[in-house]
Order: sequence, then structure tokens, then C-alpha cells
Amino acid sequence: MNEHDELIARVAETLKEPVRIDPRLDARVMAEIEAGRTAVPPTRRVLDWLTQARTIRLSPLGGLAIAAGVIVLLWTGTQLRAPSPAAEPSLAAAATLTTTVQFVLIAPDAQSVSVVGDFNDWDVSATMLREDQAPGVWAVTVPLSPGRYRYSFLVDGTTWLTDPLAAQAVADEFGRPNSVVTIGES
Amino acid sequence: MNGERDGLLVRRVLGGDTDAYAGLVARYRDRLGRYAVRMLGNEADAEEALQDTFVRGYRSLARCTDPDRFGAWMFGILVNRCRTHGAKRARRERLLVHDEGAMSGASVAHSEDRDAWREEIARALERLAPDQREAFLLKHVEELSYDEMHDLTGVSVSALKMRVLRAREELRRLLAETYT
Amino acid sequence: MTTRANITLIVLSTVFMATRSVGMAHAQEARLETRLADPARTQVNRMLDSARAADLPTEPLVDRALEGAAKGAPPELIVAAVGRLWDELRTARDALGTRASVGELTAGASALRAGASDTDLRELRARRGTQPLTVAAAVLADLVAAGVPSDTAIVAVLSLARAVDDAQYVAFRRNVERDIALGASPSAALGVRLDAARAELASADHAADRLGDRATRPDRKRKP
Repeated sequence: MNEHDELIARVAETLKEPVRIDPRLDARVMAEIEAGRTAVPPTRRVLDWLTQARTIRLSPLGGLAIAAGVIVLLWTGTQLRAPSPAAEPSLAAAATLTTTVQFVLIAPDAQSVSVVGDFNDWDVSATMLREDQAPGVWAVTVPLSPGRYRYSFLVDGTTWLTDPLAAQAVADEFGRPNSVVTIGES
Repeated sequence: MNGERDGLLVRRVLGGDTDAYAGLVARYRDRLGRYAVRMLGNEADAEEALQDTFVRGYRSLARCTDPDRFGAWMFGILVNRCRTHGAKRARRERLLVHDEGAMSGASVAHSEDRDAWREEIARALERLAPDQREAFLLKHVEELSYDEMHDLTGVSVSALKMRVLRAREELRRLLAETYT
Repeated sequence: MTTRANITLIVLSTVFMATRSVGMAHAQEARLETRLADPARTQVNRMLDSARAADLPTEPLVDRALEGAAKGAPPELIVAAVGRLWDELRTARDALGTRASVGELTAGASALRAGASDTDLRELRARRGTQPLTVAAAVLADLVAAGVPSDTAIVAVLSLARAVDDAQYVAFRRNVERDIALGASPSAALGVRLDAARAELASADHAADRLGDRATRPDRKRKP
């Protein structure tokens, strides 16, 4: 082994030395999981939904399809509909078209659900979802102008939940992840 | 819970025993942490990436197709999280002024002090391009084969070999400057 | 968190403030009034003033501050977050031009946060021509959020920029995300879908050429 390889070998040996991470990380991970910000593994979701779970869980399309007696509302957390005209303050143009977006959350034990985001000044009670279609199926439609909007669901005024089927924002600087919906100009 | 194989713990979590996941976290925290610290250069960022990784792992646990290879699966998630984290940090750091003078030449030359050596390596690693650093760590520290590295990253074997080669050349250059 | 240029603009903004619409300024401040305490509120208001002076949209900045307030974040974190977004909006505006819409700027800022450079945004503008950039830039950011390395995502989005419309960009992103959810590595998922998209576009081009030659109807399936 020539001296160049020896240097790299020494570097590698040093880097292989064990690293000790603060064990309090474990508690933080479990706390984040328990806070319900993350979805339960799919096999549990259906069970919880059917048997009155203690805590709120996000339920994806998969869970809906299996559970009986539920009107399958629609397929994802967000959906685009036909555009309707509306005015919006913007630097560039005067009036722009809006697109109607539907937000859906399955939360059988919730007393109240709101969607909170860039489009309603992060006002926690401005846009409440309603259980019109079926118990536990919360929905609301919102007209949105073109742009990219960060948002999150708030359940019972206390628990922040991301939309499991929407894209996530790249960076969350406030300690809670966001979902993102993008509306194009076309 | 101690001593249960990964596969058993994973199946327990999927069966509804969320607390069993804590055992997996404890088991892999330091092991994954080593890669995160080497890749990101400091413990705070590494812990953030680790927490993100473990939470995502829980969230998509049903998609771990081979529960007995939970560790390898988690490692794949970690490598990607470190990349995203690195991209975020690179953007932020463009706003800071880097004092190149302070970074080089402040080393302890000719010293046998283990800590100084570690410090030098850390600084040299930091100066590698992220994809070279990643390839170097996967090859020489995690000791993966090039095929395993390709499976993990999606990058071609020839490109990975080139990155490792360049990383080694650059590390030699940076460390030789300090120690001659 | 503010750069030297930022500080300069904040100082100069006191001069510009007098020339700005007072009604608009009060409307912004009213929303912060009840949700953000001083000194954070004053600092954010200063950044709003300098944003107006620099001809940047203030709405995204107000939104960021309100998000922090809604989530109970510490004030210094809120101020830092608004400052970071301010820088990104300015960089996006410099790259995308003064005619860029608010949607393009916020999506551009997200792309920058995801690791794109101002050069990348300029290139995207050049390749996208008259089409708005909102969705393209957003897809870039979303791919990185899904775990695709940022340089890979940038190359992919740029390579599609001339040929696909917004709906195809969104479909592309959804396909990659689905593949990742099913267990593919993000790089591999992107690579596979990009190859498929390119092949699809190439065969559509080829078929279109043949259409010109032989007046036959090509069977075009739009599945990027």
C-alpha cells in the first residue's frame, strides 16, 4: 500500500469511529409520532377508523376503499375543479382567474377541523371544514388564485396535521411540516 | 424488547404497537447518526436529519418490503434526508461570508493529537462537494459495494467511482497541505 | 439573517416610506397588529417597507409571519423566516424579471430554497418562454421535498421546460412521488420517469413529423 492509500485508510479509520447521538432524540422522535403529525402505518388506519380510535389518525384513500358503508367522497386530499373568475391583488396583472380547490380530511373523532394556510392569513378558524357528505369525512372548497400555498389542517384547535396525499413544503422553519398546493396560471 | 430482531419489532409496530418503534430508534440512532454527522458536519444538523428520517420511517413503515433489513432501508431514507438537508443549508450559507483564510492554515501541524486530526478531517470533508463526500462516506466508511451504492442513490457505478476518486484526490490534497 | 444589502435597503426604506400608499401599509400592519407582538412586529413591518421599496410582493412575507404566529413560534424565528423569504423573493425577482407574477415569485423562492440557483431560474424563464413559471418552479421544489437530490431535480425540470405544459409537469411530479412512495429511491424514480417522459415526447414529435408527411393520425397518449 503506497503512502497515498495509507492516508485515505487513516482517514477512513477515524471516520469509522463511533458517534454518540444524544439519546433524548428517541423521545423527540416518539413525541413527534404520537402527536399525530405522521400517519399511522396503513394496516392500523383502517382498524382505528372502524373502531373509534382514541386519537386522530389520517386516513388515506386505501383505508376508505376497504371500509364499508362510507360514501367514497373523492380520491385525494386536494382536487381541482373548474375555474371561476375573481379579482386578486397582485403586482403584475389586475384580475386573475381562480381555481376551486377541495380539501378533504378523514377524522372520525374530530369535533372541528379547519384548514389553515397562506390563502387565509393562517387564521385558524377562517376556513372550517364540514362533515356534509359522511360522518368523519371533513371537506371544504376554497377558490385560489395562481400561486403556491403552504397549508395544514388543525383538528379540534390543537393538533396540526399535514395532508397525507399532498406534496410537502421543502423547509418548515416553525417546527411543524406543511403541505403545499400549487395553482398554475393556465 | 431488547434483543428482538428488527423484523419482529417492525411487525409489532405494524400490528399497532407504536412503542416498539422506540426500540428500533434506540438501536439505530448512533449507527445512522455516524453517517449523518460525517455527512452534515455537525451534530445539530445530524440530529435534525435523524429525527426526520426516523419519523418518515415510521410513517412509511408498511413500505419496508424486507423488515429484517430495516436498518438498510432506514439508511436509504437517511442518505436522501441528508441530501435535502444539505441543499437547504447550502442555500442559507450563501448569505453568510466565508472567511477562507480562517478555514485553512489554522491547523496544528505535525501534531499527534488525535482531536486535532479529527478536526482536520472534518474540515477537509466539509470542503468536498456534497456528492463526493457522500460517495466517499458510503464507500470508505459505510463500506458498501458500488452496486449497493447504486441501489441506494440511483447514480451509475461509473459516476460513483469517479466521485470516490475525486474525493480521495481532494482529501489527499487538503490533508497533505496540513501535514507537510 | 439579513445581508448587508438588506440592511442598506431597510435604512433607505425610511426615505421611501413617505411616498408609499398609506392605505395599503395600514392594511398590512393591521393583520400583524393583533397577531404579532413587538419587537418582532416592528422588525417585520420594516421588512415589509423595504420590500415595497424594492418592488417585491409583501403578501408572501405577511403570510410567513402569520404562519409563525399561528403556530406559536418564538418571535426571533418568525423574523428570521421572513428575512430569509425576503432574500429569496428578491433573488427570484432579479432572475425572473419585473413582470413576474406573485405566484411565479413565491414558487421561484421555493425553488431557491430547494437548492436551485438564480441562474437556474433564468434558464427556466428562457426555456419556458411566455408560459408562466409557477408550476415548473413549484414542481422543482416539490421533487426536492420528496427526496430527489436538488441538482437532479433541476436538470429534470429544465430538460422538460420547453416541451411540456403545466398539467404534464404536475403529472410527472405525481408519478415520481408515487414511485417513491412505493419504495423506489428518489433518484431512480426521477430517472425512470424522466426517460419515459422524454421517450413520450420524442415519439410524439416523430409522429407529428409523420403526420406532416403522410396525413395519418398518430395515437398520442399523454402520460409523462
